[in-house]
Amino acid sequence: MTRSRVLVLTYAITLAVLFAIPWLLARYQLSIFIELLIFGLFAMSLDLIMGYAGMISFGHAAYFGLGAYASGLILIHFEAPIPVALLAGIALAGAVAAPVGWLSTRATGIYFAMLTLAFAQLLYTLAYKWRELTGGSDGIAGVPKTALFWGLPNVTSPAVFYFIVLSCLLSSWIACRALIRSPFGHAIQGIRENEARFVSLGRDSRPFKLLVFVIAAGVAGLAGALFAPFRGFASPEAMFWVASGQVIMMVILGGIGTLIGPIIGAMVFILIQEVLSSHTAHWMLFTGIVFVLMVILLPGGIVGLARRLFEGRT
Amino acid sequence: MTAVLDTLDLSRSFGALQAVSNVTMSVQRGEFRAIIGPNGAGKTTLFNLISGKIVPTAGRVLFHGEDLTATPAPERCRRGISRTFQMTSIFPELTVSENVRLAVQLKGEGNFRIFGGQKQLLASARKAEEAIGLLGLLDRTNVPASTLAHGDQRLLEIAMAVAQDPQLLLLDEPTQGLSIEETTATVETIRRVARERKLSVLLVEHDMEVVFGLADRITVLHFGAIIADGTPDEIRMNVNVQKAYLGAD
Amino acid sequence: MWSFVVVQLLNALSLAALLFLVAAGLTLIFGILRVVNFAHGAFYMVGAYLGFTTVVLSGRFWLALLVVPPIVGLIGASLEVSTLRFIYQRSPNYQLLLTFGIGLVLEETVRVIYGANSKSVDAPSLLDGSVHLFGTPYPTYRLFLTGLGIAIALGVWLFFARTHAGLIIRAMAQNSEMANCLGTNVQRVRTLVFGASCALAAVGGVASAPMTTAYLGMSVNVVVDAFVVVVIGGLGSVVGSAAGSLIVAAAQTWGGYYISETAMILMYLVMGAILIFRPHGLFGEKE
Repeated sequence: MTRSRVLVLTYAITLAVLFAIPWLLARYQLSIFIELLIFGLFAMSLDLIMGYAGMISFGHAAYFGLGAYASGLILIHFEAPIPVALLAGIALAGAVAAPVGWLSTRATGIYFAMLTLAFAQLLYTLAYKWRELTGGSDGIAGVPKTALFWGLPNVTSPAVFYFIVLSCLLSSWIACRALIRSPFGHAIQGIRENEARFVSLGRDSRPFKLLVFVIAAGVAGLAGALFAPFRGFASPEAMFWVASGQVIMMVILGGIGTLIGPIIGAMVFILIQEVLSSHTAHWMLFTGIVFVLMVILLPGGIVGLARRLFEGRT
Repeated sequence: MTAVLDTLDLSRSFGALQAVSNVTMSVQRGEFRAIIGPNGAGKTTLFNLISGKIVPTAGRVLFHGEDLTATPAPERCRRGISRTFQMTSIFPELTVSENVRLAVQLKGEGNFRIFGGQKQLLASARKAEEAIGLLGLLDRTNVPASTLAHGDQRLLEIAMAVAQDPQLLLLDEPTQGLSIEETTATVETIRRVARERKLSVLLVEHDMEVVFGLADRITVLHFGAIIADGTPDEIRMNVNVQKAYLGAD
Repeated sequence: MWSFVVVQLLNALSLAALLFLVAAGLTLIFGILRVVNFAHGAFYMVGAYLGFTTVVLSGRFWLALLVVPPIVGLIGASLEVSTLRFIYQRSPNYQLLLTFGIGLVLEETVRVIYGANSKSVDAPSLLDGSVHLFGTPYPTYRLFLTGLGIAIALGVWLFFARTHAGLIIRAMAQNSEMANCLGTNVQRVRTLVFGASCALAAVGGVASAPMTTAYLGMSVNVVVDAFVVVVIGGLGSVVGSAAGSLIVAAAQTWGGYYISETAMILMYLVMGAILIFRPHGLFGEKE
């Protein structure tokens, strides 16, 4: 079978399985699966920056957190329909990412990475200290699942919420793919490959990097905005540097620069976390060691490994 | 008729070192000009001054009579000065076609669209294909640039610059690192490209055979200053040039 | 009135000394070796915790200052040999990712061994207490820190500017292939410099522990601060690190006088201004 036929078949089967999930899994398992999808979306957004633009961001979790807070506050105080909360999450994340990105892209490489970390820590501290708005270290709790639209009843069935998350993930994936293949996406990859050459060919690279940074932040904000009603709370921990580190690990684990890879990586990472944390309190240590080994030995991640195996056989 | 390029008393010093001093030269439309000189003569510095990579400490650069001295390099590229680099500088994981297409797009007026950019991509791809064909890389157009042999990567460099439809093409040691056969082939290709596109070319080279095979006029630098300027025959017989090269041994 | 100004000035100075210790190591290793070490703060933290253990076991702070940096240097060097060495030829992004992973592993290891609570370290009795300056008591320990920072700064500068070894390292930074041909074992020098920079970070960790306690968040806090210092001061410039340390310390000391939050905000404002008007830092080299 040709490679493209295998790919199409895989996509079709995956899609079918994804649609059937609510009937295949028990309630508790479905809940975990929703979390896998939300973090898959989060990790995919980071891949836009890391895999396609070649910029490492140590502060990506800040935008997830901002999305969660925006969504949580809208849902608690205004009981607006879920799509409104989602839009609020995307908007807040993007709005904050714009000035942060503008300042950070004035630097490159490690400087850029550290600046993203510095700004994320600043945002974390703001969330931690601004008790009146964010509930401080406790965060905001009691975030409800509201309705899909004005006039409709609130979403109570986990299956319905699952499809909301799934449709967000699928549409974001389609949008990201389109972005990668667009002239803009190709320009971004050129910047990743050789920024100096890009600039010498006639354009400033910074607006491109800024735009992809903001878009990625927006998608991360969407993931956060889904997380708040899903779990019912939003907390500063979601913005801490450790969380940013974890999403980086998801991207590397799954396969940087593949869009699908990070989604898979997120799922594997969270499942490992679930399994390990029930056996030992030090699961983070093992995860860190695995991460270090992967960076050295398997930088292409799971998808990279799969591609190599597949290419080896044909 | 205005020259394509004029440098007026162009100078550049690095601390106490005068790398380029008072270089005044003029490149006419359609001319193939080579800049040569022994090692350390200041060829690369002069090149970088013209392309905008570094700023002069004195003097001016005029392009079609317009003063570009204060204009940064990317802007000069958009105005019509395209260059290649001595150390191959391409986009390794992108395909040959994507490399050249990106060069076309970066020169163009259009925005880099996120949605609905396919028409723009196709137009740029067509333009890129012309340049790729001109440089003889059409059969390798869909492979990642990193998999090309060194010689083909040098050609890709040139294709990227040529695809931008420059009015002045700057070639920085295009035969660097090539074998004798590759060099001959590359020289032939450059001659053909320059003729077909009616380009004005400024070439920096070490290889004398290449220079004498391509140039209409040769400018010789020594210690940052022009010591000779003329046709290949004139330069061949110029006593000062001989002294500079032999003396520097 | 005078005494207030003097106290604030000395506070800023001692904070600057601490920042400089970390930032200098960072800018050296990046400016010279082009090695990107996110784990720098983690080595600082390990230094603080090992300092705690040494003081607990031996009761002597000076012993900790003497013994811990070489140990941490060795840990750093062995990590360099076993991990970092394999990815030098890849893009610097991978160095960043790898050292981030190492930093994470180090932090988690410390958490496993020591637990999550911070550990306080007693300063030696000689440095305990205060000194009378301009009529007000000022903590002796802070003066010690300032002196230590200045001494190390001078030492590092002297090493690079005046010694043969320093010259070799600087040459290597400019052109490692050439240095290789000339007989320098580039691999070994890299390992040594990496280990030395970790040791330097550990000195900072041990020295700061009596003042700040040893706590898990140190690694990230310190590395963020150090990078802000380097952004402001400029890459690869030790003078820049000194200037940056002073500026950041001043911002944090005076900004933090009224509300501690404004300290951080002020620091970020300064950094933001530098990024806008002088993206290469005050003394940085244009690349």
